[in-house]
Amino acid sequence: MDRNYHIFSDGCLERHNDTVRLVTLDGEKKYLPIEKAEAVYLHGQIDYNTRLVSFLNKHGVALHIFGWNDYYAGSVMPKRGQTSGRTLVEQVRAYDDPGHRVDLARKFVAGSIHNMRSNVSYYNRRGHDFDSILTTLADTRDRLAETTDVAETMGVEATARRAYYSTFDAILPDGFVFDGRRYNPPDNETNSLISFANSLVYANVVSAIRATALDPAVSYLHEPGERRYSLALDIADLFKPLLADRVIFRLLNRNQLTTDDFETDLNSCLLTESGRQTFSKAFEESLEETVEHPRLDRNVSYQYLLRIEAYKLKKHLLTGEAYISFKRWW
Amino acid sequence: MSAPDPVELLLQTARDDASPEEFRVTGVMMQYYVVCKRELWFHSRHVEIDRGNAAVVRGTNVDETAYADKRKHVSIDGTIAIDVLDDGRVMEVKPSSALVEPAKLQLLYYLWYLKHVVGVEKSGVLAHPTERKREDVELGEEESERVENAIRGVYDVVTSDSPPSATEKPVCDSCAYHDFCWSC
Ligand code: SF4
Repeated sequence: MDRNYHIFSDGCLERHNDTVRLVTLDGEKKYLPIEKAEAVYLHGQIDYNTRLVSFLNKHGVALHIFGWNDYYAGSVMPKRGQTSGRTLVEQVRAYDDPGHRVDLARKFVAGSIHNMRSNVSYYNRRGHDFDSILTTLADTRDRLAETTDVAETMGVEATARRAYYSTFDAILPDGFVFDGRRYNPPDNETNSLISFANSLVYANVVSAIRATALDPAVSYLHEPGERRYSLALDIADLFKPLLADRVIFRLLNRNQLTTDDFETDLNSCLLTESGRQTFSKAFEESLEETVEHPRLDRNVSYQYLLRIEAYKLKKHLLTGEAYISFKRWW
Repeated sequence: MSAPDPVELLLQTARDDASPEEFRVTGVMMQYYVVCKRELWFHSRHVEIDRGNAAVVRGTNVDETAYADKRKHVSIDGTIAIDVLDDGRVMEVKPSSALVEPAKLQLLYYLWYLKHVVGVEKSGVLAHPTERKREDVELGEEESERVENAIRGVYDVVTSDSPPSATEKPVCDSCAYHDFCWSC
């Protein structure tokens, strides 16, 4: 499987002959095996030039850039290998048809709720009492069928997510409070971690979408946005419980990340460089975890599940065959 | 107005005559028609899937290298590309006996095309380099009918709004669309 490379140091990323070389500020040189790369994540202050961008482009490797405060800053995407006017037309058609759009929006939310529920029931079996939350999540899922427009569907999603987040304070170890989701800037360790984790999921979905001819800007649950690839938001929501939240719980409950890995400013709290490093490493490991896929009849990595999701959506749009959103089955 | 006959459409398109619609069939479309009609539909819609899997490049290696010195590549109308042997016969090379039927139909289609579009009658030979076997192929009455029925069949597939549904078969394992069809 193609790998992600995360760069945390400051310095310069350049093309050197037929390789990509990182020269850090203290003069150290490292080489990136570009043939095996899916994407390069820049977390530090990195200079690069057009020569590097064309080289990455040639190898189909994306650059995802993470800033300081607003974690995900943007991507330099390779020219798409896949373009298909028809796919785009079908994508827009589905967006433009209110019935079709809300149907897809509902499916994204149904999948998200299922996956949130799966996390909650995991902890419910491990000494927590989340029965009422599980019921709430089941109820919201049932209410989905009655929504008639995307705004209403979004409302159901928000209710489910609130119920889901209400379990976090109980799951998290002492010293970590959550107290509801807050962004821009995150005001406590947990929120900061969720922001960082979610943006890693998001960037990986952006890469996965690029492997199809889907246009990342045409979405169904989220309103197509100018600044973000909103289709990546639709798909990322399905995977956050699995790829972001589970990793967060694991790292915190095993003390692999502690409050020392965060820096608190006036009104924000952010991961330190080493904290980001620890998290990214665990995140990458979780992307490489595999699960037996019942239909493909082989083990697939979590990262490949993202790709599959993009395929499924594309197939639905092109063939009219039903789209069934990702629901954790194991 | 009755629907135009796809065979007529194809001939008109190939001869560059005024035609109510363009309709081209390539050799590979003939192969897909036999192998999997769903794959044909995807191919015709330019649905490309990069599975990143070696199996996807099925067959091309043998094709490139076998008999390289004894044949000439000839491309006609940019639609069909044939290999002509020194003795004038049209050759089609297939890597394995599993793909004989599709290769045979493709070869028959080339012979048919040469006859009806270019105006030359040729014989064909189907070669299996790995098995050191060759089979002579002639375009008779029955074979012509088979080709024309396949052309109509291809037309039906590529003009329909949705593809035939997926059915699992041995070739699925080495198909570029495998994960696309089966990830559900
Ligand atoms: S995977 Fe099977 S059903 Fe799908 S296109 Fe390929 S051969 Fe046809």
